[in-house]
Amino acid sequence: MKTRSMKRRLVAAGAAAVMTASILATTATQAAAEADNDDKNSLLVAAGQEVDTFNPFKSRFIITYNTNLMTYDTLVRASAVDYEPEPGLATDWDESDDGLTWTFSIREGVEWSDGEPLTAHDVAYTYQLLIEDEGVRSWNIDFAGNLASAEAPDDTTFVLTLNQPAPAEVLNSGTYIVPKHIWENYDDPADDNINDELPLVGSGPFQVSEYRTDEFIRLEANENYWDGAPGFDEVVYVYYNEPDAAVAALETGEVDIVNNLNPAQAAALEGQDGITVNNAQNRRWVSLVLNHGARTADGDSYGDGHPALQDQAVRQALHHAIDKEVLVETVLDGNGDPGVGIVPRIFENFHWDGGDELVQFDLDEANRILDEAGYELGDDGIRTMPDGDEELSFRFYHHADSTDYATVVQFVTEWWAEIGVEALPEPIEQGSLNDLVYLGEYDVSFSGWGVGPNPTSILGQHTCDVLPETTDGSERSHENFFCNEDYDQLHRAQQVESDPDVRADLIHQQQRILYEEAPVIWLYYQNVVEAYNSDKISGMTLQPSENGMITGQQGFLWAYHSATPTGETAGDGTSTGVLVAIGAAILVVIAGGAFYLLRRRSTADERE
Amino acid sequence: MRDRSNSADGNPDRDLSAEHPPSPLEVEGEERDDQPREASIDQSGRVTTGFGRYLFKHVSGAIVSLLLVLFSSFFIFRLIAGDPIDQLTRERPVTPEQRETMREEMGLNDPLFTQFIDYITGMLTGDFGISLQFRRPILELILERLPATLLLSGTGLVLAVALGFLVGTKAGWRQGSRFDRTQVTTGLLLYSAPTFWLGMLAILVFARYLGWFPVNGMRSPNTPDDFFSQALDIGHHLVLPVLTYTAVVYAGYLMVMRSSILDEVGSDYLTTARAKGLRDDKVRRKHAIPNALLPTITLVFLAIGNIVNGAIVTETVFSWPGLGRLFVQSIFYPDRPMLQALFVLFSSATIIAVLFAEILYWFIDPRVRKS
Repeated sequence: MKTRSMKRRLVAAGAAAVMTASILATTATQAAAEADNDDKNSLLVAAGQEVDTFNPFKSRFIITYNTNLMTYDTLVRASAVDYEPEPGLATDWDESDDGLTWTFSIREGVEWSDGEPLTAHDVAYTYQLLIEDEGVRSWNIDFAGNLASAEAPDDTTFVLTLNQPAPAEVLNSGTYIVPKHIWENYDDPADDNINDELPLVGSGPFQVSEYRTDEFIRLEANENYWDGAPGFDEVVYVYYNEPDAAVAALETGEVDIVNNLNPAQAAALEGQDGITVNNAQNRRWVSLVLNHGARTADGDSYGDGHPALQDQAVRQALHHAIDKEVLVETVLDGNGDPGVGIVPRIFENFHWDGGDELVQFDLDEANRILDEAGYELGDDGIRTMPDGDEELSFRFYHHADSTDYATVVQFVTEWWAEIGVEALPEPIEQGSLNDLVYLGEYDVSFSGWGVGPNPTSILGQHTCDVLPETTDGSERSHENFFCNEDYDQLHRAQQVESDPDVRADLIHQQQRILYEEAPVIWLYYQNVVEAYNSDKISGMTLQPSENGMITGQQGFLWAYHSATPTGETAGDGTSTGVLVAIGAAILVVIAGGAFYLLRRRSTADERE
Repeated sequence: MRDRSNSADGNPDRDLSAEHPPSPLEVEGEERDDQPREASIDQSGRVTTGFGRYLFKHVSGAIVSLLLVLFSSFFIFRLIAGDPIDQLTRERPVTPEQRETMREEMGLNDPLFTQFIDYITGMLTGDFGISLQFRRPILELILERLPATLLLSGTGLVLAVALGFLVGTKAGWRQGSRFDRTQVTTGLLLYSAPTFWLGMLAILVFARYLGWFPVNGMRSPNTPDDFFSQALDIGHHLVLPVLTYTAVVYAGYLMVMRSSILDEVGSDYLTTARAKGLRDDKVRRKHAIPNALLPTITLVFLAIGNIVNGAIVTETVFSWPGLGRLFVQSIFYPDRPMLQALFVLFSSATIIAVLFAEILYWFIDPRVRKS
C-alpha cells in the first residue's frame, strides 16, 4: 500500500515538474524572442553556404556575391524590372564611337560607411587594381584582360579604356568599388584574408559587421546610403544545414526568409497565416548533356562515348522523345517552364523561344528520323548502328543526391525505349560524375547552371576556345566539347555589339545553332520557391518585376534594400524574464532531485 | 545522502590491496587461490620496472598507430573523386586561365610528392595548411569549432554515461523485473532510431509545435554580448541536440553496465556481504558496482576519444557549428587538406584516449600487473 501511494505521488510530482518546466521554458523562449527584437529590426535570411573570402576580388560563392553586393556599390546596376543596366554609382556613361573609351560621371556627395567622401579616384583605384595587380587581375582575367587603363581626371569623372570593344562586359561586370583610403594599406590586395577587419568599409546599403563561422553573418544598414536608408537596421544570414529545419524556423519566427523550397515544403507553408510563398522564375536550367564526341583543341578525340551520339540525327531523335511538359508537371509539380535554349525565360530579351523550330514531343517523328538515318530495329526492340551491330544502348548518369533527376530518368528511359533506344541509368556521386564527363567517359548525363544578366560567359562554354588541351579531364571551362565556327563568329560579334536589339538577335542565333546541333538538351527552367514572414516584412521589390524573385537577385539586392518592417515589434523585453524562468527551472530540477533522493532513502529504509 | 560513517564497516572493494574478503578481481584472475597478497607485494616491489616496460610497450604502439594514421590520411582522401575547383566555379563559368590561376594558388598543380612532403612537414610542425573551401588556415578553423563540439559531445557524453550506468545498474541488479524490461526496450529502441530522424522529430515537437526551444544553431544572432546572456542563450540552444545525442548513445552504456552487473550478481562475495547483514542497496553500491565498472572503462575512454569528432549527424541536423559538421562539409567539397587534418585529429584523439585507458588499467586491474 505504502509503496503504491508513493509511486502515485512520484508520478504526480513528475507530471507537475514536467508541466512547470514546460511552462517556464515557454516563457523563457518568448522572453528570449522579445529580447531578440529588443532594439533592432533585423531581416533574418536562412543561409547554407560558407564564406570563401571577404576579399571582393576573389570571392566566388553566392553568399559572398550577396554580401559584396550589399557592402559595395557598382557603377552600374541591373534594373529590378528587367535586368537592364541602370545608374548606380555612375549617374551617366558614354561609349566612344570606336567602343574603346568609356566615360562615367560619378555620383556626387556619396560617402563611405566610415564617413570619408567617395570620388572618381576611388573608382579609378579599383579598376587600376584589376589592371595592375597581378593577383587580382588573374582571378578576374575574363574582364580585366581587356582593360587598358583607368583614370580619374577629376573627382566626378572616370575614364576607362579597353583593348577591344566590350559594351556588355563593361556594363555588367559588377566591379565592386572599394575605398582607396583603406585598400592602399593592404600589402597584397589579392590576399584572401586581407579584408577581414569588420565592419567592412563600403558604400552600399549594408556592410558586413560581424561574422561567426557556421552561425551567422551580420550586415549593418548604411543610414547615409545615397539611394535612401534601408528599412531594416540589419540583414543577418543565419545558417541552416537542413532545409526542413529552416522551414520550421520560419514557422516559429526564428528566420524571416527561406528559399529553395521543395514542393512539399511549399505546400505546407502555403496558406499559413503571416507567411507568403513566392513561386518565382529562376535563372537556372537543368539539361541533359550528350557525349557527341570528346575532343581536344587540336581535334584529337578521346573518351569512350557511344558513336551513335556523334550523329546529329540521333541527338535530335532523342530530343523529340522527351516530353518536357510532363517533366515540369510531375517532377517540378508545375513550378517551372519547359527548356528551350541556354538563356532562361527570365531574361526576356536574350531568351530564344524556338520559333518554328521548337521541337515537339513526337515519338513517331523520332522513330522516323532514326529509320531514315539507317538505325534498324533489332528483335529485342533496340536499334543498331547502320554500319555494324552495336546497339543504341546509352549509359545514363545522374546525380545520386537528386530525387528529381532520378524521376526524370525514369520517364526518359521509358520514352526512349519506345524509339528503340536503351538507357542504362546509373546514379553517381556528383564529384565522380563531373570527373567522368570531362574525361569523355559517359554517354548521357545531367547538367545545370545558373545564368546571369549577361549571357556571354554561359554562351562562352560552348566556344572552340575553351576546348581542353589535354585529355586528363582537368580543364573544365567547356560544357561538353562543343565547337562550331559559325557559333564562335556570332559569339565574338555579340560581345562587341552595343545595340541591345542587334545583340539579342545574335544571341538568339547562337542558341538556335546549339538547339539544332543538340549537344545539350535543355529540359526545364526550374522556379525558385521562396517564403517569407509577411507579418514582419513588407515592400520587397522583386527582380524581375514579372514573377520575380527575392533571394537570387543580380546586380543589386533590391529586395533587402526596399524591405521595410511592417509594424511595431515587441516591447521592452528585458532578459529578466528569461533569467527568472531559467532560475525557476533550475529550482524545479533541484527539487525533483531532492525528492528522488528522499524517496530512495525511504524505499531503502523499507527494504532494511 | 548517506553518512560516511557507514562505510567504515570494513568495506574493502575500493582498496585492492586490502585484506578481506579477497577482491573479486583477484578471485576472477587466473591464480584464483591463496597467496594473492604475497604475490602482489612481491610484484609491487618490481612495479617500477614492470610499469616502465608496460608503458613503453603501449606508448610505442600508440606512436606507430599515429604514424600510420598520418601517412594513410594523405592517401585516403585522394580517393575521393571530384575537382575542388568545380565548387568554386559552379556559379559562374570561368576561362581556362582563371581555372589555372585557382589551381596554382591552391597548390593543386604541385607534384604529388611535393604535396606529400609539404603535408608531412606541415603536420609535424603544427601547420595544417589552408582550407580550400574557407581559404583560411585549417588550425584556426578547427580551433574555432572545437569549443562547440566539446560542449555538445562532452555534455552529451556525461549525461549518456551517467544515465546508462544508473539505469544499467538497476536493470542488471533486478534482471527480468518490469523496470529491466521497460528500460532495456526503451534504450534499445532509441539506440536503433536513426539520429537524423530523431533529431528532426525533436525539432518538430519541441521547437516547432511546443516552441520551448530554438530550432537550430548555437545562439541567436541578437543575444546581448555579455557573458550571462550568451551562456543562457547557448544553454537554451544546447538542450535539443544534447537530448538527441544522449538518447541515441546512452543505451550502449546501459547494456554494458547491465551485463557487467549481471556477471557480478551471483558472486560469492556478494553473498558474503549480504550474510554480513548489509542492506541490498548497499551491497549493490559498495560491492557490486565498483567491480562491474571495470569493463566499462574502456568504453568510456573510447567515447572520450570520440568527443572530438563530435556527434556528426547531430551537429548536421541541428546546424551546430562544430567539427563533425565541418567534416561533412569538407567531404562534399572535397576539401582534402581539411579532411586530412581532421582525420589525423580524430584518430589521434582516439589513440591517445585508448593509451590512457591502458595506462589506467595498470593501476586498477591487478591482473594486468601480473601478466
